[in-house]
Amino acid sequence: MNATLVGFVRKEFRQALRDRRMRVVIFVIPVVQMTLFGLALSNEVKNVRLSVQAPPADRLMDDLRKGAWGSGWFRPAPDQGDPVRLLETGRADAVLIAPGGGASRARERGDGRAQLVVDGTNALRARAIDGYVHALLRRASDETPPPVVAFDVRTLYNPTLATAVYLVPGVMGLILGLITILLTSMSLAREREMGTLETLLAAPVPRWEIFLGKTLPFVLLGLADVPLLVGFAHLVFGVPVRGPLWALALNAGAFVVTMVATGTLISTFAKNQQQAMMGGFLFLFPAILLSGVMAPVENFPLWAKPLAWLNPIQYFVSLNRQVMLRGAVGPLFWSEWAVLCALGVVIALWAAARLNPDLR
Amino acid sequence: MRRFSGPRALSVARKEIRHVRRDPFTLAMAVGVPVLLVVFFGYVLDFDVRDIRLRIVDRDNTPASRALAETFTASGYFKPHGPPAVSALRLLAEGRVKAAVFIEPGFAEDIARGIPARAQVVIDGADNQTAGVIAGYLDGVATVAARRLGADPPADLLRTRFLFNNELNSRWFVVTGLFVVVMGVLSILMTALTVAREWETGSMELLLSTPVRPLEMILGKLAPYLGLCLASTGLIYAAARLLFHVPFRGSLWFFLAANVLFLCCTLAQGLLISVLTRQQQLAMQFSNLTGLLPALLLSGFIFPVESMPAFFRILTWALPARHFMELCRGIILKGAGPLELARPALWLAGLAAALIGWASVKFKRDLEP
Amino acid sequence: MTEAAIVVEDLTVRFGDFTAVDRVSLRVERGEIFGFLGANGAGKTTTIRVLTGLLSPTEGRVVVAGLSFERGANAIKARVGYMSQKFTLYTDLTVAENLEFAAALRKIPPEIHRRRSRDLLDFVGFHSRPDTLVRDLPGGLKQEVSLVASLLHDPEIVFLDEPTAGVSPAARARFWVLIRGLAARGKTVFVTTHYMDEAGECGRIALMRAGAIIALGAPDELKARAFPEPLYELHFPEAPPVGWRDAALSAGTIQPHGLRWHVTVRDPRRWEDARGLWGATARIRRIEPSLEDVFLRWVEGPA
Repeated sequence: MNATLVGFVRKEFRQALRDRRMRVVIFVIPVVQMTLFGLALSNEVKNVRLSVQAPPADRLMDDLRKGAWGSGWFRPAPDQGDPVRLLETGRADAVLIAPGGGASRARERGDGRAQLVVDGTNALRARAIDGYVHALLRRASDETPPPVVAFDVRTLYNPTLATAVYLVPGVMGLILGLITILLTSMSLAREREMGTLETLLAAPVPRWEIFLGKTLPFVLLGLADVPLLVGFAHLVFGVPVRGPLWALALNAGAFVVTMVATGTLISTFAKNQQQAMMGGFLFLFPAILLSGVMAPVENFPLWAKPLAWLNPIQYFVSLNRQVMLRGAVGPLFWSEWAVLCALGVVIALWAAARLNPDLR
Repeated sequence: MRRFSGPRALSVARKEIRHVRRDPFTLAMAVGVPVLLVVFFGYVLDFDVRDIRLRIVDRDNTPASRALAETFTASGYFKPHGPPAVSALRLLAEGRVKAAVFIEPGFAEDIARGIPARAQVVIDGADNQTAGVIAGYLDGVATVAARRLGADPPADLLRTRFLFNNELNSRWFVVTGLFVVVMGVLSILMTALTVAREWETGSMELLLSTPVRPLEMILGKLAPYLGLCLASTGLIYAAARLLFHVPFRGSLWFFLAANVLFLCCTLAQGLLISVLTRQQQLAMQFSNLTGLLPALLLSGFIFPVESMPAFFRILTWALPARHFMELCRGIILKGAGPLELARPALWLAGLAAALIGWASVKFKRDLEP
Repeated sequence: MTEAAIVVEDLTVRFGDFTAVDRVSLRVERGEIFGFLGANGAGKTTTIRVLTGLLSPTEGRVVVAGLSFERGANAIKARVGYMSQKFTLYTDLTVAENLEFAAALRKIPPEIHRRRSRDLLDFVGFHSRPDTLVRDLPGGLKQEVSLVASLLHDPEIVFLDEPTAGVSPAARARFWVLIRGLAARGKTVFVTTHYMDEAGECGRIALMRAGAIIALGAPDELKARAFPEPLYELHFPEAPPVGWRDAALSAGTIQPHGLRWHVTVRDPRRWEDARGLWGATARIRRIEPSLEDVFLRWVEGPA
């Protein structure tokens, strides 16, 4: 066992874990955040505040209201008032206006369409609301002719389309990436500011040992978080782990190493801790947005896709979803994992090269 | 009891301005980076789901079934994918396609007989956002297919009007969201290190030897960064209007006031963290952990606040970014004014006062031994 | 095989346009206590950085402990100890943990480390608990622990860059007892300092100014060279007589020294005349030049 590396690991562990606040940062906060985000986040369109404006005895609209509140997607909004004003003030997301004289009577006459005014600021949500209200109307009218083509839909891997199941593997990547970058990007800058970097460089330690000494402890700390997060995801959110554990481990290992290397690289560029922090942010913010958690990677314009291909978080998220949710480990898994490893190696070499022992 | 002295706060502010002026890196970060991020991701992030990878297995092989297959591929939403040798279920399992359509033998016969002709669609639910959208598109595909096969389209029950955004342009929504998130996170980071750094380098001792009061120091440190952030906001506003043609339907004064309130919240949050941790490294950890992910995920940027369970919706009331998101989108896209947006505005004011007050109280304890 | 511990020939270090060290040559023998003096920015720390293997020379030849830079800086680092100007222990680790890490860096086997650290802590008179956090140690003790850390690998040569800066006079005196102890054990000590009294304790000293060495030799030798003429201290308890300055200047040069004057006598006859003139109003005594006088004359005076 290399005595220098063991010494490094001991030193960094002591420094990191001695302060109770750091222990909270490394172990407690990731779990808390995962719980928070896993439970709170959803990209389903729910809790739509619908205002249904119709004359009092309109039976069709009454049936529609019952169907709407019963479905769970809608919540009642004030039935009176100018539709535009209701939307402007945000007291309703959509206003359904019955045709003149009421919808029931219009149906008997065979004419008259209802009008729907939707808050269009969120396009996805607006479209979904349109679809839902259409469905509501059809159900309430119950006089639709049978369809020509009908689809039997079966959803794999997540039959209830529970958001947590989909989101949590992705959010896990964000949290793990965040904590590893935070731990490492300031470490070298801090030593430089405090002056202890000179102590390191004054000793006859070859450059690769310094590099490993400054990265290995954080890789270990990062990896310690993985079973915590996965265990939590499985036990609290019921996220399945359909794929083999070794695939999960390979993915997590490559990811943590790559992120630690990235943080160290940022640290070599920073002249002080403030710059290190800003550098970390400059990497993390785009990496999170380009990770495939907030928006699908397939949608990125062509010129932006290469950035996603260079983004370690994107690979981890994609691989994690593949392993946890779908379970199959095929050529796609291996090719993506290979790219992640290659990224890690390149970044690590770059960071090691920049660790110049010459104090010039 | 020492009274609050404006001039003393001003001298703290002046010193802070000198620090910032001599630090071109911070200046570039504060003013240049936000606008670059907003512009870049304004172009990159696109939420319209298109080119969904689809595998069609046509076991009927009749003109009718082929017409159905064509409807999928010609819709613009779907894109056929996958080497023919590999089975559809395998492609789904490996994540290489998002959905598969199975048209069984007898499809054309059912059409001819006038009974609903069924086809099976298997969707990859692992990606539930796309799954939901695919399920939504199926209705449209069924209607168009029916028309191709010569049937009458069903009567249209509804006429829909999309207010504020009749082309359903998701770009404006994204750009306003980006603006809130970028400014929200950067402002916290900017102040998070200032007090901690003074403790670490020892210059806080110098400050403590002067009669400066906590509130004066807090406000004095806030002011220059407030100015920087507002300058940044101006740049982003210009970029949003020129490059993305984002409309601005509300009152500029109200928008400015909302900005000031929001920045007071976030800058104070950064200062509070700095005061509490007294160490740069810890300040950085906490400011990132309480700033970055919550702003991105809980403010309503992409994941709507309305979709959250009630408990968490209430939790977000403590998040300044959430209120500012409402204010921004309301003012910019809906043209709402102070009356309509009173609630989020008051929340922001309250949060700003609370955070500044908390920072002052905590700092006061440090000053008195 | 050279006998000398350190041999420097025409060492030059340039950073871009700026020459920090300009053709410095010196030679330090084994077991010497060698002092390095000079104003801030004169190039002392840069020179030490080269000698400890932290910086490579732009030009010139450097041989430390028989090793030159051609073999790689790490070979040099293994043979020398360095206690830098900035305080470089980890404040959030204990004394024992810091020493353990320093030993790990140099791959010192654990038993040897245990023995040596105990000896060294004894040697420096450290009697507090080794599990005290470094940031909780009083100032003087921090320097001592830093010294121990730099000696853990039993180097032949130790470089101390302003080791007693900001430390109380009693602690300073104690530290120099340690330095003499190290020399007695056969180690070569290369120390920089601002304190003139410490410079007097060295075997030989070098004065550096603007990157070049302007004087090198034993303290007495330098004093004699700087002040070949006799030196007197002149002091007027009451108001100085009119024209005293001209009288003094006719005899030699004068330098203010606190509230008194140091007169370097060039013309003894005129001096006697001046003394006669002032009579009892002047308090005059012959003094030995101090290193401070030497320093003021050569380093900070006009070029």
